[in-house]
Amino acid sequence: MTETRTSAYAEAVLSIARAEGALGEMPDELFRFARAIEGHDELRSTLSDPRIPAATRQQIVQDLLGERISNASVAVITMLVGAGRIGDLEKIADEVAERAAAGQGEAIAEVRSAVALTDEQQRRLAEALTAKTARPVSIRNIVDPTVLGGVITTIGDSVLDGSVRTRLTQLRDAF
Amino acid sequence: MLSTIALIASEEGAHHPNGLWLPGDWKEVLWGTLAFVVVVAVIAWKAGPAIKKVMVERSERIGSHLSAAASQRAEAEAERDRIKAALADSDSEAARIVEDARQTADALHAELEERANAEVVALRDRGAADLEAARRQAVANLTAELSRLALGATERVVHHNLDDASQQVLIEEYISRVGATN
Repeated sequence: MTETRTSAYAEAVLSIARAEGALGEMPDELFRFARAIEGHDELRSTLSDPRIPAATRQQIVQDLLGERISNASVAVITMLVGAGRIGDLEKIADEVAERAAAGQGEAIAEVRSAVALTDEQQRRLAEALTAKTARPVSIRNIVDPTVLGGVITTIGDSVLDGSVRTRLTQLRDAF
Repeated sequence: MLSTIALIASEEGAHHPNGLWLPGDWKEVLWGTLAFVVVVAVIAWKAGPAIKKVMVERSERIGSHLSAAASQRAEAEAERDRIKAALADSDSEAARIVEDARQTADALHAELEERANAEVVALRDRGAADLEAARRQAVANLTAELSRLALGATERVVHHNLDDASQQVLIEEYISRVGATN
């Protein structure tokens, strides 16, 4: 998908969020679902398989998400599945989150960890990152077992890598 | 003369019935001798020049044959000398050719030996370089393999030892480190 098309979809999703009054939760819900299917090859290939009728794939989304997220988010994801753009959800969700955060004067921090950070840990990390970047930071925690341990934080082009995986890689490179 | 002959015959003794040295009648001998002399004179008078001419011609022919033979002999000797000289020249030429061939063979041998030595040196250097490269590659491969094995083992050890408490410690350390770098 081109940058222009991604931006167009992101803008459309933000418009829907604003219209539905879901600007607070939709970016986060889309972000989390995008990361969820990112690590689930079978689900991702099923939702993007053109040989499966769009209605069937949309029904799968309905059954999976149900009442777990807002109806507006379900509607947006269903729309992307029907349009055959679910494979671009990650980019769209990233841009939606960035634009939503930017609209509120915030920066999005993608925090990858082997285990989920508690709310308290996310709050303290957000405070630390806010102090570091001199702008409000919103945390998007992604559980990634490949990190092994520790945390990798990405804010824009900056990466704060404190993962065990990276330490092991550095150890291997030192040979 | 006849008397002398008769005297001699009488002195040396008679041997024939007439008591003389010559058989028969001495007159017969006299007339026979005279006839012989006449015949000889006639022959000498009539055939002498021809015989003499023939003899001269024969002598000249023999002389010319002798001259020709001498000439041929001289030519043969000259040819012999020429052949001898040619043989001598061919011997020296053959010796020269053999010497040239020997020198060429020596030069070729030296060149081949030098080239072979150079190739041996080049091969030895190349072999040494290949060996060194192979050694370095083997060391690099072994290091990489050891690194990979060590990293894999370390990852497994770390993964098994990273319980929830350890994860929380790592996260807290990370948050503290980010806060401390402000």
